[in-house]
Amino acid sequence: MTISNKTKAFLGSSIVPLLLVIVWQYVASSGYVASFILPSPNQIIKTFVTNFVEKEYALHIAASLKRVLIGFLIGTVSGFSFGLLMGLSRTAEKIFGPFFNVIRQVPIIGFIPLIIMWFGVTELPRIIIITVAAFYPVTLNTFAGIRNVPKEYFELSSVYGYKGLKLIRRIVIPAALPSITTGITLALGMSWAMLMAAELFIQTYFGIGTRIQLGRDKFNMALVIVGIITVGALGFFMTTIVEQLAKALDRGKIIRKET
Amino acid sequence: MSVAKGTLEIRNLSKSYVVDNNPLQILKNINITFPAGAFVSILGSSGCGKTTLLRIMLGLETSYEGDALIDGEKIEGPGSNRGIVFQDHRLLPWLTVGENVAFGLDKLNRKTKKLLVDEHLKLVGLSGFEGAYPAQLSGGMAQRVAIARALANKPEILLLDEPLGALDALTRMYMQKELERLWEFEKITMIMVTHDVDEAIYLSDKIIIMSSRPGIINKIINIPSSRPRDRASSEFMQIKAEILNEFHLGSEYPFAYAI
Amino acid sequence: MSLKFLQRFNVKDRLLGLIVPLFVLALWQGAVSQHLFSELLLVPPLTLWNTIIELFRSGDLISNIQVSLNRVFLGFLLGGSAGFILGVGMGLSPVINRALGPLVKVLQQVPELAWMPMIILLFGIDEFARIFFIAIGAFYPMIFNTYQGVSGVPEKYHELARVFDYKSIRYLSKVIIPSALPSIITGIRLSIGLSWMFLVGAELFGTESGVGFLMIMGRQMFQIDVVMAGLVVIGTLGLIINTLLKKFEQFVLRGRVSFDGGAA
Repeated sequence: MTISNKTKAFLGSSIVPLLLVIVWQYVASSGYVASFILPSPNQIIKTFVTNFVEKEYALHIAASLKRVLIGFLIGTVSGFSFGLLMGLSRTAEKIFGPFFNVIRQVPIIGFIPLIIMWFGVTELPRIIIITVAAFYPVTLNTFAGIRNVPKEYFELSSVYGYKGLKLIRRIVIPAALPSITTGITLALGMSWAMLMAAELFIQTYFGIGTRIQLGRDKFNMALVIVGIITVGALGFFMTTIVEQLAKALDRGKIIRKET
Repeated sequence: MSVAKGTLEIRNLSKSYVVDNNPLQILKNINITFPAGAFVSILGSSGCGKTTLLRIMLGLETSYEGDALIDGEKIEGPGSNRGIVFQDHRLLPWLTVGENVAFGLDKLNRKTKKLLVDEHLKLVGLSGFEGAYPAQLSGGMAQRVAIARALANKPEILLLDEPLGALDALTRMYMQKELERLWEFEKITMIMVTHDVDEAIYLSDKIIIMSSRPGIINKIINIPSSRPRDRASSEFMQIKAEILNEFHLGSEYPFAYAI
Repeated sequence: MSLKFLQRFNVKDRLLGLIVPLFVLALWQGAVSQHLFSELLLVPPLTLWNTIIELFRSGDLISNIQVSLNRVFLGFLLGGSAGFILGVGMGLSPVINRALGPLVKVLQQVPELAWMPMIILLFGIDEFARIFFIAIGAFYPMIFNTYQGVSGVPEKYHELARVFDYKSIRYLSKVIIPSALPSIITGIRLSIGLSWMFLVGAELFGTESGVGFLMIMGRQMFQIDVVMAGLVVIGTLGLIINTLLKKFEQFVLRGRVSFDGGAA
């Protein structure tokens, strides 16, 4: 009897996390460390369950999701349009490119104090931060994707008389699609990361970030950890969905790989 | 009694891989002696196991039945008594030409190293290129650097794995002359794997013809004629016809051409 | 050479690039002149410039920049070297990769900022907490890019190393690292970029020094010019760091025009 390679791989990759949990449970229950600093896995599961039984926790999650989706959508659509413009027109690139590249150097978090002063502690600055986070990667990847469309495709298009919108829809966008979807996937990750900044630095009543902050204020580490797990898991699910969508969209994948 | 170093013997050698639980025989009962100082070619179509055979001689393949011996000693792994020129020049792109040639001379002091590098770059006709990077060289030049790197180690045996396979036809013929010159100068054993019939006839004292599935030796042809050889001579043509016959490519039906 | 020079500094293109900044500046000045917004929300460009000069002269700016740069450096050193070492280990050893890979992937799902409250609970809002937080930001790009570079070393180079008997340190320093270098340098660049980003995050959580501190103070005292000055400084430093890193990358990877070499 031999253990299959898959099982072996699974066992191999679960050893370290398993060891960590065991050590963790041991240290936590030994009493060396105060439980508000290091709650046992047991406590965390309990907190997790009580949290999810409450209806309120769902409201926090919903608030975060809504924020991210709005910012992500606005950022993606505007980033795609802007990237398309700069990708198609060298003049547009020369006009907007340098300014875009300089502004992009400013860490997004740095804008927070300024936009709070402008718009107050409201939903708008939160959405702005998330939008900007999504805007950059989509712009960059759309632009790069279009610039990397092989010039042979353009030659082919001119032979068959493809021009204007038809050229963009039938040739440019499909050829740049892998790069564009990469940008969108990155954008989702960035939005999700900046959601945390938006909720931690721009106080709000509802949001997963708010819950994590609450845990910190109440010296309740279990609450903090449950929040962290929630954020990580939701981020993972959303990224997976977008990645799968991107895969489904890229029909010519196999051919592209070979060339 | 002085023994000429650089004799390589293959005795009763067989090798098979397991593919989907079925053994696939790559080499079957190979027996060859490569005399010291000879130029021997192994000729065969792709898939006949000739490259596997070369890798066994090099010491990169170690699981097989039978014996591979150098000067009577079993090959345990790669060693400095054998040099190798791969089909892709395999120069390290982050090293200069000079550093690439010195790659196997790491243990020597700086002065000796430089002496050997200069000597071998001169030998392959690339003096003055030691500061260039591989990316700046043409395919033929890169392959000459690879040859210099192999020779700088002063091997008893130089193994050549389709060394000119990636070059264009004219460069290739030129490099064949160069190889002959180097062989005559170094007076070492050279063993070359190739699928180019003309190349094998032009360079070899002995041609080993292999056929595939499983890889076996079909025929060994000795070529005693003087050098440099005339590719247009009747003797050359005769040997070529003999070899092509082995591959069932000879003109068995000469009248077929007349139709 | 001279042609390249001309292309890079094409005057017309440079001028085109000035259109947007000048337009923004004009709009800004116009809005101020027309009193569209309160002085509390928008100061004239000139005032902002004066504020920057003033902060610079008083030494406030320099000392705070030093503190911030120091934090970024320490955070990058800590997180980057951890990422580098683990990345090399995972790239070379399937066992280490199987043991650590999934764990790192799971941890990576958590946005870096979400760790901050936890770090503060553990260490308090002190210097170590900030550096640790920056290190988390620096860690991920370094470990992934190093791993990718090292695990992607072509089999042919491994073979070459065996033929020429390269082992352990020599193998690592002469073959593995140079081969993985483009990827590793990308890792360094991203890593330092993120360190810079998370520095601002770390400082906004509360600190008594640093460029972020300047901005918090500005906000609390309703000095929008100070907040904007901080933003300009952060952006400029980010730009400088990024430019230097790009030059560094070009310098290190010089000669590698086509990475796979000529033939093949």
